Amino acid sequence: MLLVTGRTVRQGVASEIGKTGEEYSKNTAVVFLTRNDMELCSLESGDHVVLKTSFGSVVVRCEEGRWGRDGIAFIPYGPWANLICGSDTQGTGMPDYKGIEVTVERTLESPPTQERIARLLRGVQ
Amino acid sequence: MRVADVPCVFCGGLCDDLVIDVENNVVRKVVHGCALSQGKFLNHEMNASFPAIRKDGELVRVTLDEAIGEAADILRGAQYPLVYGLSNTETGAIRKCVELAEICGATIDSTSSVCHGPTSLAVHSVGSVRASLGEVKNRADFLIFWGCNPAEAHPRHYTRYSVNPEGLFRRERRERFLTVVDIRETPSNARADMSLVVDQGHDFELLSALRASIKGYGISDTAGIRKQDIEMLAQKMKTCRFGVFFWGLGLTMTSGKDKNIEAAASLVRDLNEYTKFVMTPMRGHFNVTGAGAVLLWQAGYPNSVNFSRGYPVYNPGEFSVSDVLARKEPDCALIVASDPISHLPRAAAEHLARIPTIIIDPKITMTSLIAKVQIPSATAGISAEGSAYRMDGVALRLKKLVSCEYPSDAEILQKIIEEVRG
Amino acid sequence: MSLIVRGGMVYDPHNGLHGERKDIFISHDSIVEECDGDVIDARGLVVMPAGICIHTHIAGNKVDYGRMMRPEDHRRYFEKKTNVTRSGVGYSVPTTFLTGYRYARMGYTTAFEAACPPLGARHAHEELADTPIVDKGIYTLFGNNYFVFKYIQNEEQENLYNFVSWLLGVTKSYTVKVVNPGGVEMWKWGKNVSSIDDPIENYNITPREIIENLVEVVEKRRLPHSVHLHCNNLGQPGNYSTTLDTLKAVRGRRLHLTHLQFHSYGGEDWEDFESEAPRLMKYINGHKNITFDVGQIIFGDTTTMTADGPLQYNLYKETGHKWMNLDVEMETGAGVVPYNFNPKNMVNAIQWAIGLELFLMARDLERICLTTDHPNGGPFHFYPKIISWLMSRKTRNEEMARIHKKARERTSIESLTREYSLSEIVTLTRLAPSRILGLSRKGHLGVGAEADVAIYDFCEDRIEESFSRARYVVKGGKIVVKDGEVVSHADGKTYMADAKGEETDHIRETFKKYYTVSLSNFIIQDKEIARPEVVPCG
Repeated sequence: MLLVTGRTVRQGVASEIGKTGEEYSKNTAVVFLTRNDMELCSLESGDHVVLKTSFGSVVVRCEEGRWGRDGIAFIPYGPWANLICGSDTQGTGMPDYKGIEVTVERTLESPPTQERIARLLRGVQ
Repeated sequence: MRVADVPCVFCGGLCDDLVIDVENNVVRKVVHGCALSQGKFLNHEMNASFPAIRKDGELVRVTLDEAIGEAADILRGAQYPLVYGLSNTETGAIRKCVELAEICGATIDSTSSVCHGPTSLAVHSVGSVRASLGEVKNRADFLIFWGCNPAEAHPRHYTRYSVNPEGLFRRERRERFLTVVDIRETPSNARADMSLVVDQGHDFELLSALRASIKGYGISDTAGIRKQDIEMLAQKMKTCRFGVFFWGLGLTMTSGKDKNIEAAASLVRDLNEYTKFVMTPMRGHFNVTGAGAVLLWQAGYPNSVNFSRGYPVYNPGEFSVSDVLARKEPDCALIVASDPISHLPRAAAEHLARIPTIIIDPKITMTSLIAKVQIPSATAGISAEGSAYRMDGVALRLKKLVSCEYPSDAEILQKIIEEVRG
Repeated sequence: MSLIVRGGMVYDPHNGLHGERKDIFISHDSIVEECDGDVIDARGLVVMPAGICIHTHIAGNKVDYGRMMRPEDHRRYFEKKTNVTRSGVGYSVPTTFLTGYRYARMGYTTAFEAACPPLGARHAHEELADTPIVDKGIYTLFGNNYFVFKYIQNEEQENLYNFVSWLLGVTKSYTVKVVNPGGVEMWKWGKNVSSIDDPIENYNITPREIIENLVEVVEKRRLPHSVHLHCNNLGQPGNYSTTLDTLKAVRGRRLHLTHLQFHSYGGEDWEDFESEAPRLMKYINGHKNITFDVGQIIFGDTTTMTADGPLQYNLYKETGHKWMNLDVEMETGAGVVPYNFNPKNMVNAIQWAIGLELFLMARDLERICLTTDHPNGGPFHFYPKIISWLMSRKTRNEEMARIHKKARERTSIESLTREYSLSEIVTLTRLAPSRILGLSRKGHLGVGAEADVAIYDFCEDRIEESFSRARYVVKGGKIVVKDGEVVSHADGKTYMADAKGEETDHIRETFKKYYTVSLSNFIIQDKEIARPEVVPCG
């Protein structure tokens, strides 16, 4: 599938309530797929999935997107999305935030919390 | 207390007709604002930051002066600082950021690097045909939104500026033709007269096919769109009276990046052979345009500027935030009005998390979770005054609605400058 | 702070001084009769009022987009920071700190941003706040303004008068600027005007009426500076006739024509392109109500930027260069296109000669100013080069020798043997702009004048060098330049005309209906200008 990051109103509002809060993680640690794609992957809304790109992997919740296109996985901008985005900008300054090859697989793990992501980035336990 | 004509400080639309009720130093009500606006103003106290320094892995509360002192120490002793963010604060603070970057020999970049930076690259090559939003409101009879989702990112755009407003020459909705081009359907398609769903990563080809068709060359099916549809769109664009092209991160972030914008800018420029056609970028943060404006007038370049040699040197890809962090070059960072841990790719965010990072922000953010020094500030446009620049370059004066125990970004930066100078 | 400029040769034509040895006394920020103070040893040096640039593009949206357009041009010139100065870049579109420093080093302490849309006034004022040393102001655009059109169309003279006063006041501007009247509105539909009597679509008026009415209002209001006009048809072969029509249209009232060189063309197309400067100068010499600045071109690379949207589009079409367009709702437009003036190009060579013709044929030097319409004709840091062409026939002949020979055939440049004296240069670059702008305390060194003084080590054989790096520059009584280097920071004043008008219902309603900003946010607040200087009318 192709991963595309983007904005949603919910994620925007939640970021004002607090980037370290639950509202934000609920609305940002999520990937939207079309119904067809969910059926293909045997997924139901609310399931947790692991998204894997060549840059890394992350666990998020999956939801059926009201809007979408088969073959496109849409994830809101945020720290979860960034864990699987590469930093190569081809000399433009702009990383590859859209159109990244991604695999989607159901998992029993939970999405990392903001604190967990921070510790991961800092390289501490 | 009721304050009218308040400019919103969320997105680049900078709607300035908000009517805000303030009671006991708290915003109680926001009239005319969209959901994003309501979110920002009504939650301005939530998750408030406080002065702190990380000691032994934990953020420990300190006085504001101590936090500022620690920040100055870090910057004074640094070999290669990074100053980053800028887009969510007012212009005066951004000027201070540039001053500080020059003093420290730092690299300074705004969030535009990961947003409309590629748009600037296209301006360097091709230029751009632009108009202020009132021109769109008053004259546009053809609108095309490409790779952006205003319904979610700039919710009042359609109503206030583009599709629905009653303008001088366009009174009703039916006098305007709305086209939306994206890789998927979004809420922005809902009221479109024409929708094209383009294959992901192939916008450049579609833009080029449009250019070719406009110039009278034969074309074929391109990027998942049928030849007839491309030709019809080209015809509509050529024969309108005043067309406007809006674009967002769907073009700047997608494969091709600045080349996509060059193609779009060339398309708009070519259309001026046949009719009047302009373009406006959909800027994300409320003062990212201002960050660009200040960097341009003080340093000559819109972003990715390095001061190591004592004068501004520009090289996107070399001095852009993602690259410079991913290559692990800066030995400390000052983050102002931005949350890079939330929006930079992992390799860049990792380095930021492992060097001493100073964050100046009214709220606790993801970046606070990795910061060495946390400095709270008043919120531009809510508890601090200043100016901000709309997506089309119009500058407005922000309002101070409530008071805050902490100083503004500009005041804090001035203090840091004085302490670094010693 | 007191200073004595001791023993210099003073050039102050306004007060009848043409190189007399005289001491100049400065107390605080003014010239005084006498005082004690620190001495500047000016023996052997030439002392004159500091320079005034009456027309330049240095601040605001189009200039900033000009900077964005030209990263390659920025790499041609940079300045490192020092203990006293900020760093910067830019050859033809310098960053703001450099703009201030480069003017100051040449001995200029006043510069006006020549074309600002009212909606862009805030941006321009913010950039000017970061333009050090020079006193400054903005000329606000009126010539394609919705309100102006409506009031003229409906013959509402009172409303027009009020609106002009009101808009000048709320944008904190110095003067009424008009650019391609009617043409820029037409450009919003992709068109232009080609004469002052062309009708303007959707409005029952012509450029002639715009010019006449605005000149009338400014006259009645007795603003310190007249209407500052960039005529229709800039750059077109044969446009001298539009210029003449415009001159006649104002019927004896004050008018300042800007960058006149670009409006002095004869011929019908590029093939038979020629000068009509003599014809225009004959008229202007005989009509005291007309003042102008030249807009001299300099060979080399530069960046064109004006509010003349359709002109800039044409330049793009002719050169194939990158092009920026910036239409502004309800008010005006702008465009930016890089350009190269090539000495081997026949048209460019003739343009160069035309500028000099205007200088050399002008009889009343208090009615003409030296400009390049920076950066359109060339960067302002070439003013000393122009001065050398004016003062030395030999130097201008040297330039003429390397350019296309048609410059000599299609203009009268060869027959003009005049050489400006130093006093005349002082009039051209100091006294004239101060008179024309209505700045009575500038442009001379009499008691009561502002203490803006430029001191040069002048050498007849090195005119350009002499004027490029002043030995001393005093700004408001403070030494800011020494030996061609900026030695201290200063913040200039912002000049604005004393104009206020009533915010009528019509203004309010129109803003609500057709603008996209609230009226209250459009207005520049007092606190936004650090050092305002209001210049009275009348």
